[in-house]
Amino acid sequence: MDKILVVDRVCKEYPGRVAVSEASFAVAKGSIHGFLGPNGAGKSTTMKMIAGILPTSAGEIKLFGQTVSPENRELKNQLGLLPENAPLYPDMKVETYLQYVAKLHGVSKAKDQVNKVMEELHLTEVRARLIGNLSKGFKQRVGLAQAIVYDAPFLILDEPTNGLDPQTVFELRDFIKKLSIDKTILFSSHVLSEVEQLCNDITIIHKGKIRASGNLQDIHRKFRQGLVIKIGLGLGEKLPDLGSFGKFEVTHHSSLSMEEQFILNFESESDIRSDLGRFILDRGLKLMTLHVESPELEDIFLHMTETKK
Amino acid sequence: MIFTLWKKEVDAYFSSPLAFVLIGLFSLISGIIFFNLLVTYTDGIQALPPNYTEQISFVEEVVLKFFANVNFLFLVFIPLITMKLFSEEIRQETLDLYWLSPIKEWELVLSKTLAAFTLVLSMLLITGVFPLVIWGVGIRDFHLLGTSYLAVSLNACAYIALGLFCSSISGNQIIAALLSVLGIMFLWMITWGGHLNSNYVVSEIFTYIGITSHFERSLRGILGTQDIIYYFSFVSIFSFLTVKSLGRRNW
Repeated sequence: MDKILVVDRVCKEYPGRVAVSEASFAVAKGSIHGFLGPNGAGKSTTMKMIAGILPTSAGEIKLFGQTVSPENRELKNQLGLLPENAPLYPDMKVETYLQYVAKLHGVSKAKDQVNKVMEELHLTEVRARLIGNLSKGFKQRVGLAQAIVYDAPFLILDEPTNGLDPQTVFELRDFIKKLSIDKTILFSSHVLSEVEQLCNDITIIHKGKIRASGNLQDIHRKFRQGLVIKIGLGLGEKLPDLGSFGKFEVTHHSSLSMEEQFILNFESESDIRSDLGRFILDRGLKLMTLHVESPELEDIFLHMTETKK
Repeated sequence: MIFTLWKKEVDAYFSSPLAFVLIGLFSLISGIIFFNLLVTYTDGIQALPPNYTEQISFVEEVVLKFFANVNFLFLVFIPLITMKLFSEEIRQETLDLYWLSPIKEWELVLSKTLAAFTLVLSMLLITGVFPLVIWGVGIRDFHLLGTSYLAVSLNACAYIALGLFCSSISGNQIIAALLSVLGIMFLWMITWGGHLNSNYVVSEIFTYIGITSHFERSLRGILGTQDIIYYFSFVSIFSFLTVKSLGRRNW
């Protein structure tokens, strides 16, 4: 697949501090690429470097085949950015502000384009209101509107749903999905389930270093070591000796209201479910549950960002 | 593009009470000053015997003093006009909007300079009623009025350039305003320093760097090439520094 964005060994250094170190990843055309990392990991810095508003200390960023830099003005209309703090003027009216942004980018029919974007983001009802008087949800919509009002084919959205009410989150998420039909999106969020829902590819950054990057399924596969099986036995029943199935470890045991639950981590990846089921039943135990557990993105994220401290 | 940027800034000025408060205060204070100068002048005339009245010049005592006082008012008013132009953008992180667009730094600086100058011109426009009074007392020297307005406008441009630079180096409006006030005072003090220095060369250099001598010459209608070069260089240097300061902030 075509790579629209290629980040190649990019570094950002400040006096006495390295914010981003040798970061490399690529974003495929037409994808929603999740960019994950804890606070202070270097996400916003990397996103600003990609947007060309912050220069790199080393390395190269290529967008649409062109090298990104604050001086490269050819790329300015090709990229829309919604930063963590949306660049809004509180004393401007929504419509005036969006028309202003459209004019800054040389949009010829600014009025029509602004009307279209306001309609898409349900901003028409607040078009004549001062931005400073809007709720957080509406402000975020205006921030998103300024990023898309000049119809850039590549969007960078830095935590667009952060701190919003569930209804607005749902609507914005839906809108971002629609945007991805004809745009490529680099998207950061703290809500991992949101990333799983929206993104095909992800990059995880921690302490300025890229920990993992690629297709979400591939990362899941790489992360899974051995086979994790969840077994539910009857209340009060104990786990039989499973030594014949190879080396394993009981990572979790809890007594629930209906069953005793065990999570077993086998070293071998071969599918032993049917043999294991039969083995348990042959010993007169009640088998309530038996299934393979796939690692959640949360597990992967925590593994990448906490255990590697 | 500069028109779009300029219009946004002018709209921002006039959509807030600040512009109207500044224009109102400026009109009030300059009106009081003009009235006082007139009263002092007429009292002086009446105190002298009829044959000596011509020794007190209306131009010297009223017109030139009035515009010198307008220049003094700029010490407070122009920093108030320029203080938020960049510092507010820095505080609200709205400069990203421009760095994401094809706008160049100098276009932004120029448009903000022009917007601030527009507000200063609006303030000066109100003082236009005073020439009517002068006309009434028989002083019809349009050349003098023209050069006086040109002199205060040139000084305003220089102060705006300085104020914009101060605004670009701080995210705090109050600090930006204080730096501008100190900067303007420094420009005045350099000239005084020149007058006090006994060394001729040093004195001449100080006098040239300070703004006062250029302002006085412009006010009296003897604006020379060196004054034009001075004002042009001053505005260019501070605008350049503002552009660099914005660029550095970005880096």
